[in-house]
Amino acid sequence: MAQTRTTASGARDGAEARIGSAARVRGRIQGDGNLVIEGHVEGNVTLRGDLTIAEGATVTSEAVAAHAVVIAGSLEGNVAATGPVRLAASARVRGDLQGSAVVLEDGARFSGKLDSEFDLPPELGGASQGEARGRASDAKSARR
Amino acid sequence: MASTVIGAGITIEGEIATDEDIVIAGTVRGKLSAKESVTIEHGATVEADVTGGSLVVGGALTGNVTAQERVDLQSGARVIGNVKAARVTIADGAQFKGSVDMDV
Repeated sequence: MAQTRTTASGARDGAEARIGSAARVRGRIQGDGNLVIEGHVEGNVTLRGDLTIAEGATVTSEAVAAHAVVIAGSLEGNVAATGPVRLAASARVRGDLQGSAVVLEDGARFSGKLDSEFDLPPELGGASQGEARGRASDAKSARR
Repeated sequence: MASTVIGAGITIEGEIATDEDIVIAGTVRGKLSAKESVTIEHGATVEADVTGGSLVVGGALTGNVTAQERVDLQSGARVIGNVKAARVTIADGAQFKGSVDMDV
């Protein structure tokens, strides 16, 4: 449930940066803070904070990079998150998802690859690799 | 609360268009158009041509401005560009370089 809490606080803090439902942005968006997209965005999004793609929003992007990412709208593009990625029931996503955890809710429509960082059990031989990636992600969060 | 807010930490390079109002506290480069009010807050940087219903500038703006109703440059604003609107105010303490066209 940790992901759900991240989501809620992300949406609240993100009120400082919001692209409303009547707005259309074509270009590159980057920033330190959180962002909520309710409208239409075409272009890459790079954030150090959390990104919320609200229900009804459409995002077309080659690359979306952020900390925690919540998608309830429609996204065409790849997501690289340093935190968790959550696809709500209303989400429609075509692209690859990468994050510390990936949650697909019942009803979410998704086509693409999933890459989630977690420790593989030792019997699968992934322990050392899993640890190395865990440290890499700690380093990222320490920088924030 | 404006429907679209570009927060202080956010930079957009490209085109923003909205049928509602917009508040910018961050950085926008490119083109900006809104049907309703555009607010460029103190500390914001906008390098773009701006069209809107009305415009309030407290920050730095480089670009040409066209507003349906009015343009208000507040104290602390720094504007380089041409302004076209029926009503224009420039407050004491605002820096402005460019022309004003009130369509008279």
